[in-house]
Amino acid sequence: MPESTDPATPLLEVDDLKVSFATRDGVVRAVDGLSLSVGRQEVVGIVGESGSGKSVSMYSLLGLVRDANVTISGRVRFEGRDILGLPDEDLRVIRGRDVAMIFQDPMTALTPVYNVGWQIVEQIRAHEDVTKAQARARAVELLGEVGIPDPARRVDLYPHEFSGGMRQRVVIAMALSCHPRLLIADEPTTALDVTTQAQILELIKKLQATYGSSVVLITHDMGVISEMADRVVVMYAGRPVEVGDRREVIRQPRHPYTWGLLGAVPRVESKRNRLVTIPGTAVSPLNLPVGCAFAPRCAHRFEACDQRPDLHGQGAHLDACWLSDEQKVQIRARVAATGVTT
Amino acid sequence: MTDDVLLRATDVVKNFTMRSRGSGPRVVVQAVAGVSLEARRGETLGIVGESGCGKSTLARCLVQLTPVTSGHVEFNGVEITGLSRRRLRPHRREMQLVFQDPYSSLNPRRKVGDIVAEPLRISHFGDAEHTRARVAELLSTVGLDPASVNRYPHEFSGGQRQRIGIARALALNPSLVVADEPVSALDVSVQAQVLNLMADLQRELSLTYLFIAHDLGVVRHVSDRVGVMYLGEIVEMGDAETLYERPLHPYTEALLSVVPELDDGTHPPRDRIVLTGDVPNPSHKPPGCPFHPRCPVAQAKCAVEKPTLVELSPGRSVACHFPRHDS
Repeated sequence: MPESTDPATPLLEVDDLKVSFATRDGVVRAVDGLSLSVGRQEVVGIVGESGSGKSVSMYSLLGLVRDANVTISGRVRFEGRDILGLPDEDLRVIRGRDVAMIFQDPMTALTPVYNVGWQIVEQIRAHEDVTKAQARARAVELLGEVGIPDPARRVDLYPHEFSGGMRQRVVIAMALSCHPRLLIADEPTTALDVTTQAQILELIKKLQATYGSSVVLITHDMGVISEMADRVVVMYAGRPVEVGDRREVIRQPRHPYTWGLLGAVPRVESKRNRLVTIPGTAVSPLNLPVGCAFAPRCAHRFEACDQRPDLHGQGAHLDACWLSDEQKVQIRARVAATGVTT
Repeated sequence: MTDDVLLRATDVVKNFTMRSRGSGPRVVVQAVAGVSLEARRGETLGIVGESGCGKSTLARCLVQLTPVTSGHVEFNGVEITGLSRRRLRPHRREMQLVFQDPYSSLNPRRKVGDIVAEPLRISHFGDAEHTRARVAELLSTVGLDPASVNRYPHEFSGGQRQRIGIARALALNPSLVVADEPVSALDVSVQAQVLNLMADLQRELSLTYLFIAHDLGVVRHVSDRVGVMYLGEIVEMGDAETLYERPLHPYTEALLSVVPELDDGTHPPRDRIVLTGDVPNPSHKPPGCPFHPRCPVAQAKCAVEKPTLVELSPGRSVACHFPRHDS
């Protein structure tokens, strides 16, 4: 049983998480100080481009980063209990039962050599004392719940006999089999077509409402964040650069990186002649600058940017940028009007 | 009028025959099922559709990388289907491809300079010095340092590699560039850089683009006209703006309604049309309209009678018995 079920404590609290890898070329600082909290029944979106540390941060807090050269520090509390660095047998109880994960490619979560029923049954029996027959009945029920037609027959099929969208449904059924309190979904729809993506997002929303789970949704797509998340964390180079209510961040983004990220997406609702671009490419986590990691690509950098900014601000909308609030408002308006970040 | 059209496809069909489980009965998969389209000089024709709809196969058929099963493709007023390799070569020069995956479409063992120079070498462009100068020019055209000729593809990021692919495609001054998902492997900020570059090049070099993608936002952004594909057929075609604002085909309407949009709280919520089921297997196409089993507004007629692509108003075609947004 969980140590603390006080509804006031956040379900998940991450404090100054750092993940680095010692490599031949030097130390790769993949996550460089991430703090965030996930409330009960809250959907938190983590958005960022490849290499921004969004996946590795979530993997590391569950003890899924098993690299001999990794160093993880910080504090992670799940329901008030410190879980970072717990021995694997303790984490194994948490993973799957309390916290479940959905991955981008459903085949990474399914083994091709067993039928899907076997895999779901194994998952249930790892955490609960039920008979095979009971677990199997539950597997059929779960497959039906995630919208797989004819579940009693499909439970005996192998992963390759399902389409990509159906496979992702199987993974979701597996993730939900023990009614986890936290679901971490890592790019759950990136590999899927837009109509299938819509089905899967609806399904996650519906199940989240039914079970009251909290969700951490990792994605690079601001559109998906907009449809799913309550709050959003924008990550760049292993750090959060902006955090806030989803609508606030979309309507009044405060960090120059978020401006670029939002402006770079071609929209279906309006044709624009020119997309906002962020010059250059993401910094290498091998040699992060001393100051603000975004400064080398930022058109608005000034002296203050030699110091690394932390998240700051009033209320729940925070950002890590040294520009004054007035400057941010002015520049944002100019970017929106001209489509250029410079 | 005809002069205006650079590429014209008439009723292009591409079948693939395969045997299930190695020795089973032959199964014919109709990947492209009778596509007719025109690409006009200087425009961008976007083709959008979900995976497996045949859009990439169509692209390969149009540039004769894959022989068509039936139908005709005219390029610059010349029929190019069925031409021998030798007779096709002068036309090939005029039409070039940019591929999706900048990792697998560049030979990892060759230097960037050689990769970009290869089309020049094949077409006997000129002596070594001319070739070098042209390669340097091409690299700077696409925004790369001309000094990088001696580097290998792995030394470049995904966006830079896609620029190398574009430089190679432009080497012989083509009039048509067929881009098959050119930005889908890239991060959004890099994607925006490449899309802007492609727009600049189109203007500077008067290129015609056939732009194939699954991302509806990207297609809208780049295209003058758009064709929507489903199960090997074009189900709707029209100029980008009207097609996106007033889709006629229920499939287009559903596709557009589920694209995740940025909601800043100022727009009224959209009616989402979430289709049920998956795209049917193209080897077992449903009778009648191929979309009818998933269509939210299908009627009895749709299950029996196959609609053809008809022009409802100038430039606006749809293959549906009951098009939306009548008038």
